[in-house]
Order: sequence, then structure tokens, then C-alpha cells
Amino acid sequence: MSSSSSFPTSRFPFAAGGAGAGGPGGGGGSGSSMRPWGSSGGTSVSSSGKRIQKELLDLNASDCSAGPKGDNLYHWLSTIIGPQGSPYEGGIFFLDIVFPLDYPFKPPAVTFKTRIYHCNVDSTGTVSLEILKDGWSPALTISKVLLAIKAIITNPDPYNPLVERIARLYLTDRAKHDEIAAEWTMRFAR
Amino acid sequence: MAAESPKSAPRRAAAAAAKNGAGLGLLSPRFLSAAEMAGWDEESLLLAALVVEDTPVRESRRKRRPSPAGGSAGSNTRKRRSRRPPPGEIPPVMLALDDEEEKPNNPADGKKEIEDEQKKAVVVETKQPSRSGKEAVPAGELPCMDRLREELSCAICLEICFEPSTTPCGHSFCVKCLKHAASKCGKRCPKCRQLISNSRSYTINTVLWNTIQLLFPSEVEARRSSTASCSASKDEVKKQNPPRSNTNLVQSDLRRSRNTGGSVSSITTQDNTNTRISSNASRRSFTTQGIRRSTTTNNTGSFVPQDTSGITGRTGGRSFVQASQLVATSRVGSANPPSSDDDAALAYRLQQEEFATAFESEEGGGETQRRNAVSAARDSLRAMASRAVRLRARGWPL
Repeated sequence: MSSSSSFPTSRFPFAAGGAGAGGPGGGGGSGSSMRPWGSSGGTSVSSSGKRIQKELLDLNASDCSAGPKGDNLYHWLSTIIGPQGSPYEGGIFFLDIVFPLDYPFKPPAVTFKTRIYHCNVDSTGTVSLEILKDGWSPALTISKVLLAIKAIITNPDPYNPLVERIARLYLTDRAKHDEIAAEWTMRFAR
Repeated sequence: MAAESPKSAPRRAAAAAAKNGAGLGLLSPRFLSAAEMAGWDEESLLLAALVVEDTPVRESRRKRRPSPAGGSAGSNTRKRRSRRPPPGEIPPVMLALDDEEEKPNNPADGKKEIEDEQKKAVVVETKQPSRSGKEAVPAGELPCMDRLREELSCAICLEICFEPSTTPCGHSFCVKCLKHAASKCGKRCPKCRQLISNSRSYTINTVLWNTIQLLFPSEVEARRSSTASCSASKDEVKKQNPPRSNTNLVQSDLRRSRNTGGSVSSITTQDNTNTRISSNASRRSFTTQGIRRSTTTNNTGSFVPQDTSGITGRTGGRSFVQASQLVATSRVGSANPPSSDDDAALAYRLQQEEFATAFESEEGGGETQRRNAVSAARDSLRAMASRAVRLRARGWPL
């Protein structure tokens, strides 16, 4: 897996990826992708699995990376480096990505594993992002989702907040908000 | 055509002179044979030669010709080159019914033609290695192949589009992917979220599909075989649980095969000994192929597509495998009640007849068309001759 080499492996050891669990088999159910992962004996990959593998190979973002956690192709772990010029600069944020079985047609579930002081991310790590809910399109990929998350980290959306208190602080006292955010980044994401 | 009129006087004179010298040599051999078939005598042929004079076909063609230096590579240029008249000479008018066979009618002209031939041969020789080299290069080594791959891949499955369908907003996806997306994510374009209004009819973009097949033959073949094996396994599953009524089975089979855009398949019949023989007639759907191929019926009455490409060879192989599988499963499991089998047989026969009539009428239409073309050509020749006769009778100056 090309992308897993760019992981900070000392910090978070990843398994080599899902290729061992599922070879590029041709006999996957292209229509009905409801087959649970791994139940097919590891020889065939459904259409969702194929697409996820393809995305894994195509990942080439510079300041974020993603790859399967263990040998489950449908469960990824991703890192996002805190964008420069933001109070989150210098932080490394881990995200959990769980792909549904009918993946390209349903959005992946993305949650922050690292605490972050952000009005659109709650304490459980849930991200409120339109493209991860109703705004999902099968033409979106994980790299685009990560790009969107990076964008929302840099520019929070306080008008559709998940954490009201942080949004209010962001709107009223931006300096205080940034200070707290930087403090949280230092505390949790380093 | 109006611009030709000042030139016509010298051309006519030259043509008359050429006629005195060469006579019937003006006419191309193919025209002569056609005239013979139409039952013309020598005089009417001469008359036809006179008629040809006022058809400015060759003149206009010469005008359109680009300068020889700026010619681009290709067979078209070669044809033009061979047709180029010697400079400084007024070309004799020739009947240009057929482009390929043009014989020189005076020795100097002939020499020039031979020179041209040699030049052409040289050109062909110099071009041949580069062209063959281009063909020898596999598709993957073209410089812009990565971009092409990116452009021609489906945004949903991220693979090369398989049977692409283009939305009203201009984005192309695999038909299957687009259908899945429409059913699961709403009828909006996955790329731009525009509403896909007539989402029921997903037509395959044939130009794009053919282009993809030409550019990425290996990918397409791999995808095709994987979908085939997948649907074959699905068929097997379907056969193993006995259906309630076989008409339903046939209908659902047809529906599914239409969905996949692949093959019309899997109809069961029954013979006296109550063994089930399933013949699986695969054929490319008309919308995808564009060109209809003639089919024949064999002894068992199943349709065998006459297709030289390996595609159908593969589907044929697949159908064979499936048939054997079906026989095996029917031996293992208990057979369906004979009434439903009869239904299936009837449905099969009906469908068979439908195909037969469709293809027969098509073939017949082609033949009549050909006959019509021949008779039309004959008619036009006769019209030309009669017109010449009339002109002469009116005292048209020679």
C-alpha cells in the first residue's frame, strides 16, 4: 500500500493494508454489494471493495493520509495535519473512516479520534459536514472528503454548528476561540 | 458551378480532341462493363462520352485539392496524388464514375502517372514503418494515456467506463453505476447534482463506448468477463430455487439482461424424455452495437450470432458453460412441473419467431435495396443517353 508508507508508523502502527484480505478477484457481486466483508473466503471483492481498493491506490494527498486499519478494507484510519495559519497548526488529527457496504452510493462515516476544539466537531468526534450526509454523491472520494474536512478545519461554519458554545465564541471573540483551539491542539493532537 | 462556365469552352475543345484520339478510352473500364450490362451499343457509349463533358466533377475536385506540399498523411492524400494531373496540360475529361480505376489515355500522361505511382510507392514505403510502428505501440504507451484514462473513467466505480451513458448535463458514467446511483442516491447527476429528468431511459453513448473499446481493449475485456461470470453465477442461483411460474422467470431474465445491457439469455425448453435442455442465445443488443448482424437458426432453433469478434466467442463459451451447468442442476434437483416448462417453451418459441422475422425482413430489405441501386444506375445511364440523343437531334454543336 503506497499510502501507508507515509504514516507516522512510530506513533500509530498500521497493518499493511487490505490487499492480503482480498485479492483483485473478478467474481464480486457487482449488483448486490450487501455481502459482508470477508465472508466470501477472501477470494472475491464486491464492487464497493473494488472501489475502495482503487481509492487506496489513488490517494496522493500531501498533508493527509489514509489507509485501512488492520486487514479490514472497510475500516480506515486517516491523519490530517493541522492547516498552517490556523490555530490547529502543528496538530496531527486522527480520523476513523467506516465505509458502508454499498459504499459509493452511501457516504462513509467519518469521526475524529483526536479531540479538537471546533464548532463543527462534537466531543464524540462527529463531524457535521453536508457532503457526509444528504449532500453525498457517489462521485465523491475519500480524498475529496478529507479535503473538505481540511477546509472546514481552516474555515469553521459557525452558522450550522454542532457545538453551539464554540460557535458563539467563534463569532463573538475570535481571538479567545483561537487561543483555546491552539491550546487543545497542543494538549490532544501532539 | 457558375464559376466553371468561363473555363468550359477550352475544356470542351480539349475533350473533343481527346475524343477523336482516344474514343472509348475516355471511359473507365467499370463504366464500360456497366454499360454492357445495361445493353448499350457503341454509339450510345460515344454519346455518353459527349454528355460527360458538361459535368464539371473533375474540375471542381481539382479546385478543392490542397497544395501538394501541405498534404497530410493518410490514404486520402495518396489517392489525390495519383489523381493529380500533369502541370501545364489541360486534363482530358474523364468519366469519373469510379474513383479507383482511372487509366491514362495518352503516353505522356501515362508516363507521368507511372512517375506518380513510383512516388506514391516511395511515400508508402517511407510511411509504412512509422504507421506500423504506431500500430505496434500498445495503447498504454501513448503519451496522453493517463489523461485519457482519467477522462474516460467512471466517477462512481473509478474504472474505465463500461457502456457509458451520458446524462443531460453532459457527464458520463457506466450505465450500471448510473442506475445504481439513481436508485440509491436520487435522480441527480453524481457530478453536478443536476436533476436527471428522464432517468428511465439510459442510452449508451455509442461513440464514447466505441472509443473506449478502441483505447482500452484489455480493460473492457476484463470487465466484461468479470460481469459475465458474475451474472452467470447469479443465473445459477436463480435456477436452483425453483420459480413459481416459468413465464415469470423468462420475463425476469429478460428484464435483467436488458438492465445489464448484455445478452438475452436462459430460456428453457422441454423435449419428450423430459430432460431440460437450455439453450442460451446470446447476442449483442442493438443499441450498443449499432451494426446489426445477420443471424442464422441452427437445428435446435437457438440463435447463433455470426460475429467475427472475440466478444461473441466469449459469450458463446459462457452460454455453453451455463447450459451444462443447467443440465447438471436439473439432474440434481427435482424438475419443475411440466406445465411451467411448457410455458417457457412457448415463450421461447415466440421470442425466436420474433427474432427470425426481424432478421429476415432486414436481410430482404438489404437485398431489395441493392437491386434498387442497380436499377437506378441503369435508369440514370439510359437517361443520360437519351438526353444526348435529344441534344444531337436539336443540332447541338459538336
